[in-house]
Amino acid sequence: MEKPIKPSLRAWLEGGGFFVAGFIGALVVGWVIFPMVLYSKQPQPMNFNHALHLNPEKVDGIQGDTETERCLYCHGFYDDGTFKGIPRLAACTECHDDPESPLGKTLEEKAFMEEYVAKNKEIQWLSYYKQPDCVYFSHIAHVKNGKLDCRVCHGDHGKTSVIPDYEANRLTGYSRNIWGKRISGLKTNTWDRMKMDDCAECHSQKGHEENNACFVCHK
Amino acid sequence: MELNRRNFISLMVGGVAGLHITPLPWKLTDDIAIWTQNWPWVPVPPVGAFNKVKSVCTLCPGGCGIEVRRVDERAVKIEGRTDFPVNPGGICPVGMGGLQLLYNEDIRFTRPMKRVGPRGSGQFADISWKEALGLLGERLSGLRKAGTPEAIAAIDGNPCRSTISTLIERLLKALGSPNYLRTPSVEDTYSLVNLIMQGTEGPMAYDIENSDFILSFGSGLIDGWGSPGRMINAWGMWREPEMRGKVKVVQVEPRASNTASKADQWIPVLPGTEAALALGMAHVIIKEGLYNREFVNGFTSGFGEWSSLVMKQYSPTQSAKITGCQADEITALARAFAKSKAPVALCGRGKGTLNGSLYEFMCIQSLNALTGGLNRIGGVLVHEPLPLGPLPEVTFDEVSRAGIQKARLDQAGTPRFPYAQSLTSLFSKAVFEGKEPAVDTLLVFGGNPVHTLPDGGLFRKALRNIPFVVSFSAFRDDTAMFADLILPDHSYLEKMDESIWPAGIQYPLYALSRPVVKPLYDTQHCGDTILHLAKQMGGSIAASFPWKGYEEILKQRVKGLFDSAKGLVTYKGTNPVWKTMQKTQEVTPDYKSFDEMWNKLKSGGLWFRPAHSYGRWDTIFKTATGKFEFLSSRLQLAVQSYLRQNQADIALAGMGIGAGADAACLPHYEEVKQAFNAKDYPLTMVPYEIINIASGWIASPPHLNKTIFDDQLLKEDSFAEINPKTASQLGLKEGDLVFIESPAGRIQVRINLFDGAMPGAVFVPLGFGHIGYDEFTKGKGANPNYIISPQMDPLSGQPVWWKTPVKIIKV
Amino acid sequence: MEKKHGPAKGNSYGMVIDLDKCTGCGTCMVACSAENNLAVRPDESDKQRSITWMRLYKVTNGKEFPHAEVSYFPRPCMHCDHHTPCVSVCPATATETDYHTGIVSQIYTRCIGCRYCMAACPYHARTFNWWDGYFPKGKGLERYLSPEVSPRMRGVVEKCTFCHHRLMRAKTQAYAEERKELEEGEYITACTEACPAQAITFGDLNNPEHKVTRLAKSPYAFRLLERLGTEPKVYYISTKDWVRKLGDNYLPGEFKPISTVKAG
Repeated sequence: MEKPIKPSLRAWLEGGGFFVAGFIGALVVGWVIFPMVLYSKQPQPMNFNHALHLNPEKVDGIQGDTETERCLYCHGFYDDGTFKGIPRLAACTECHDDPESPLGKTLEEKAFMEEYVAKNKEIQWLSYYKQPDCVYFSHIAHVKNGKLDCRVCHGDHGKTSVIPDYEANRLTGYSRNIWGKRISGLKTNTWDRMKMDDCAECHSQKGHEENNACFVCHK
Repeated sequence: MELNRRNFISLMVGGVAGLHITPLPWKLTDDIAIWTQNWPWVPVPPVGAFNKVKSVCTLCPGGCGIEVRRVDERAVKIEGRTDFPVNPGGICPVGMGGLQLLYNEDIRFTRPMKRVGPRGSGQFADISWKEALGLLGERLSGLRKAGTPEAIAAIDGNPCRSTISTLIERLLKALGSPNYLRTPSVEDTYSLVNLIMQGTEGPMAYDIENSDFILSFGSGLIDGWGSPGRMINAWGMWREPEMRGKVKVVQVEPRASNTASKADQWIPVLPGTEAALALGMAHVIIKEGLYNREFVNGFTSGFGEWSSLVMKQYSPTQSAKITGCQADEITALARAFAKSKAPVALCGRGKGTLNGSLYEFMCIQSLNALTGGLNRIGGVLVHEPLPLGPLPEVTFDEVSRAGIQKARLDQAGTPRFPYAQSLTSLFSKAVFEGKEPAVDTLLVFGGNPVHTLPDGGLFRKALRNIPFVVSFSAFRDDTAMFADLILPDHSYLEKMDESIWPAGIQYPLYALSRPVVKPLYDTQHCGDTILHLAKQMGGSIAASFPWKGYEEILKQRVKGLFDSAKGLVTYKGTNPVWKTMQKTQEVTPDYKSFDEMWNKLKSGGLWFRPAHSYGRWDTIFKTATGKFEFLSSRLQLAVQSYLRQNQADIALAGMGIGAGADAACLPHYEEVKQAFNAKDYPLTMVPYEIINIASGWIASPPHLNKTIFDDQLLKEDSFAEINPKTASQLGLKEGDLVFIESPAGRIQVRINLFDGAMPGAVFVPLGFGHIGYDEFTKGKGANPNYIISPQMDPLSGQPVWWKTPVKIIKV
Repeated sequence: MEKKHGPAKGNSYGMVIDLDKCTGCGTCMVACSAENNLAVRPDESDKQRSITWMRLYKVTNGKEFPHAEVSYFPRPCMHCDHHTPCVSVCPATATETDYHTGIVSQIYTRCIGCRYCMAACPYHARTFNWWDGYFPKGKGLERYLSPEVSPRMRGVVEKCTFCHHRLMRAKTQAYAEERKELEEGEYITACTEACPAQAITFGDLNNPEHKVTRLAKSPYAFRLLERLGTEPKVYYISTKDWVRKLGDNYLPGEFKPISTVKAG
């Protein structure tokens, strides 16, 4: 009956301590370890400096007044309106045409000239934005017809001087950029996620409810 | 601090609480959901740049223009071309499924091979091109050294008059063998008719789009006859609402085929009696004076002889007796035909892959002559062959000079078969029955004779007597299964080849197919293989083949077209040629130099002459009389020379002619004589062709299997169509499994009761029953060719495949 | 309250098939199979299992020799406008009618394979994937697959989409040329394009200028099982009474033949 309060309080405190430890541990697991385990990292075959290539002062060839126009210089459209995606080597060699001499001074570029241009070998880029096969996406409908900037979906990818490692979800196989760039799943920028709901949300906001019909984005 | 039970629970609770405000459970749930929607084993077609390559389909002699849609270098779809004059946008189902012939590795030879298993087992081992050519070269040289080059034979299924065929024939000549054979085709019979009656060597050219009465004697106008892209387009045109009633199509054949069903009128005749119907019509036309007097009196010879024969023997009543139709039906048909403005009578059974009957074709062509339909708008146009450049003479050495003097094994060209070019049945017979191997090495090109020859399997049996068989096929076809050596060709989408005057087209046309994709495997263009072989053998053979590559030969031949200075290389697709050529007599070439013309041709282009001198009758016939000959002077010569050697009746019987010497040189009806007791084989088997089963040397692309109804093929069994009345007499029900037995053997099929089948006949589709190819094709259905006991068509010597006496036995 | 769907507001893509022109050659089926990556199995004679989007049906006039006749009905999905039977039963919303194109979609990744839609469809226009597509290793058949249409996996239903990807292709081309509207004929299905007899006409039934709209008003035009009220957007034309009669189930004496066929 006369049990001392102190041990009980201590036990409570102790219990609280364990609770907090468990809680914090879980936070660490959930926020730090889980993403590390969930995503595999794969380096790109070589670096690409988007910032440099998009700078008209540094690169003569690049044309266009807006950033989107400059993006389209390499990531453009074929005559039938389909999107070229990641440029092939032929697009690179429009400027980097002499296998013997790189245009810049970096070792990377020298390696690129030797490894790819001289051997006429395509670079096996890993695409950050590849959607699953069931998805149909028309770049031209958004960029030309809808007048959207590349940035709306691709963020500041064009401003990077080092391209990040490619991260794939070990469970789903999708690129992290599709859904998981922000592990919280919260969305503050339009380019944070590329899931179906995000497409639909934008369509609705812009008053294009008709583009939420299934077949518009599925094939 | 100790980790007791209570604290552990605290830790866990804390952990669980904490986890809920991390992305872990939520993201994991979502990712697992997405994971369940992953099907990694389902192929994901790679994306890339879409592009199109224009070419010409060379799967059949129809030569339709095709446009292949590609993703980068990968072909993904074949479509019809709208800028090609043969087919305004449409192609046939076989051509549409062509990519399955290109990309199916199981049906192709991917490199040279030699046989390791027993013949027919399909077991081969890889060898190199050098080894393969060495093996063949040595064998051929050995035969030549032994002084027996005639023991080399070739059988060729490539289109008539094609460069590749010319090259194969040339190879045989250079080696010193007379035994060059072609698989029978309707072109053989067309050529014979044109030669015998008109003295011309051009192909049969029907101005069908301009006709207003199309009388087809068994030609499957929409079942794959002629150039399917062209024919079906014309059919659609005739059925335009504004054309209703303006064009009449009449189909004569014993079965309600698609053509017969969809025609304005169907006239069923007993199998093989089409000639008698044509003669009955001729009787009415002559008797009632409905023939074209200007043409018949001024530009034909032998009309008197022929008309007296027709008047005497082929009244509508007599004709009705032979054909099984009504006399008044024949009279009405004759009147309607002759009174039309631009009638045309067509011959060539089914798709026209196989030969026809010479006398029958002569009778039908005579209908065209009677109505003045030769060289008239909407009739049959008379042409010279394409002016292709000639190749230099073959260089002979002693062996080859002696060799080609030897007798052909098939007796083609002998007085008994004076105008025959090659007779595969007699060849097979000679090889099969010979005590000593008559043929040591057989080369098989561009065909699948084991499957397609209507000879009751005789060719297949004859192969047993041929020690060495070489196949140049791109496919693991039925014949290649019996080969000892394979020198695989490219598939049709990987090589440059030609389309020579597509079947039945009314104006000269020559087109080049181009490689749509780079060759996928270690195969070689058959033309180049021949050149390599010749080069390796050296001497006079190498000297006969001085070219560096096949393309050079094509170029040399095309130079002849250029020199004729009478063609165009661009077609815009706005005005169909059959319309424009009515108003054009001559064209000025739209190219300046040969190089320009050649380059256009090479990039999927064509050369054509959209002009014709309609109505000209005075200079077109190259017969002895300079006229269209009802009484053929060529036949008279041939028959007489044969008669001089033999007693008249024996001689005629030897030629297979039942009629007297008077009728022998005139178009008349010959009853097919059967060597068997009719009581033993009371039914008549009639093979038929449908457009969605490839019945030539290639197999159907698998997509086509979807189009085949389950009363045509069910699992492994194909169906024979039989009239319900006939079936009930025989006690047969729908779906019954039966044997169809002829003197040559039996096949197993199921019964399909079909009211469109003539009573007393059994209709069996061609194209099933392959023993080569893969699981999509192999062992499906039965091949009626294996039980055809072919009689010989009089004079032409070709097999009578359209009428075989059979009986049905329930399994 | 039931949501009343009228005909499509924007475009209403539809088809007219002239059975007088149709020769039964099957090119439409092959073109469809090739265009839409249809799986082919070694045995296609089991028609319950054979996957087709466009299927040819053979019909006969039932008369005896020599009056027997055959004709063909090429049958794509009817893309019903009203109470679309498949859409109304799908528990997974894997199929829906797009009221801006009139096209009934089918989303394979969403389909749960219950086959309720197959039971509901009066036209047998839907087929079920009992197996994964047949692409044995080493055959290389997957090399002709088009990236424009997603290959299907086992356990889902598929059907004709009116080559929806070709609509997207045409739009993409139009955007590249800075246009928003499509001309007549820019978007046609693979079967329409392939038909060598030009028996199939495809276009916008809401556009009075389109040939398809004119043809659909022909006195010889009819639709399959029209009286079910599903408003199919595929019309047939035949001048033959016996063919038209097969388009629906008639009580004796109910069918009204068009007896006088005007020539010209």
